[in-house]
Amino acid sequence: MSKDEVFNKIADIIADRFEIDRDKITPQLNFKTDLDADSIDFVEFILELEDTFGAEISDEAAENLNTVGEAVDYIVANTDSK
Amino acid sequence: MKIAVDAMGGDYAPKEVVAGIEIARDRYPEVEFDLFGQNDKVKPLLNNAERIDLVQADEVIAMEDEPVRAIRRKKQSSIVLAAQAVRDGADDAFFSAGNTGAILAAGLLIIGRIKGIDRPGLTTTLPVINNPKQDQFLMLDVGANADSKPFNLYQYAILGKYYAQTVMGFDNPRIGLLNNGTEADKGDMAHRAVHDILGSAKDLNFIGNVESRELLNGAADVVVTDGFTGNAVLKNTEGTALSVLKLIKNSILEGSLTGKLGAAMLKPTFKNIQNKMDYSKYGGAVLLGVKAPVIKTHGSAKAETIANTIGQIKSMLENHSVDNVVSYFNDHSDEMAAMKADMQK
Repeated sequence: MSKDEVFNKIADIIADRFEIDRDKITPQLNFKTDLDADSIDFVEFILELEDTFGAEISDEAAENLNTVGEAVDYIVANTDSK
Repeated sequence: MKIAVDAMGGDYAPKEVVAGIEIARDRYPEVEFDLFGQNDKVKPLLNNAERIDLVQADEVIAMEDEPVRAIRRKKQSSIVLAAQAVRDGADDAFFSAGNTGAILAAGLLIIGRIKGIDRPGLTTTLPVINNPKQDQFLMLDVGANADSKPFNLYQYAILGKYYAQTVMGFDNPRIGLLNNGTEADKGDMAHRAVHDILGSAKDLNFIGNVESRELLNGAADVVVTDGFTGNAVLKNTEGTALSVLKLIKNSILEGSLTGKLGAAMLKPTFKNIQNKMDYSKYGGAVLLGVKAPVIKTHGSAKAETIANTIGQIKSMLENHSVDNVVSYFNDHSDEMAAMKADMQK
């Protein structure tokens, strides 16, 4: 899966889960400040990423994921979907 | 209706779980089951596969596994696969007698919260003693959250009210706040804040503070508390009841022959007491506030208790207890958001 494909999939998940306009999702979108989400929403989202991409995201890595772009880079680097 | 069952959870799993599900299958003709577990262990225990589908789950989450880590890492476990089946709509409810923390985490993170609910609460039904008008009451949160905010307790009150109405048959349940005295100004700052919020909520029949010593007398129909206190009170209630029974037994054994004869005659009475205090017969603990019924029964549950708990789940599904909560929070979303913002000031 290319970087663009990963971005598109993650953007779909965010649009659906956090009910925001798909067009407003950019790589700069910050999970912690730009979304109306609490800590449980964020863990649910990380679990969905793991299920969708078959990737394992450690607690430490999850804590350091702040933006959509960082999540895309992490998935691309840690799955076979390059 | 179809229930996802974790066949591997509990002290006597999978044997008692399978036996319990078979009793429930015979008792409730309209219920179907997906039994998640290691087929090589589960299949030989199953006498009749009518309305019971086996779903292979390679892994098992053990009682000592760290909950959130377990549900994130053991993706092929019976708890995770059963919760996913509920999330994906293949099953309508989730049942397990396994690792409580993992069940709560699966309910919270896989099945997910109802929109608008901050923290789901774990609830249990307890007996009311010697009160002709009431034989049970509901208490929540009994341990899903160790740290609860006043806003969470307000939401527990609403969740408890709907459960008491739809599943337990209370018309307009009396909501009480567990506190260290009945007067309105009792308790720490958080409890006084919750008292004010519940008192001004127009949809709740709030009767004020209740003390833990009055709970089994039927002080309220729904007792609202934070998870830390609720868990401590629940375990204390259970422990005290068992200790008193033990005390009676010891006194009889150490007493005179007439005492022993008297006790023999009172055996059915003691049995009744034990039966009344056995809260597993009132069903399992329910995680309220998630998108489908999530029910956990005692780890030590045997087949009969498991079958009873399935009856409770059936009643939750038949009475649309979750749908009612979803529509309440949908209809009151603006009000709820404003209240939360106000309380965080």
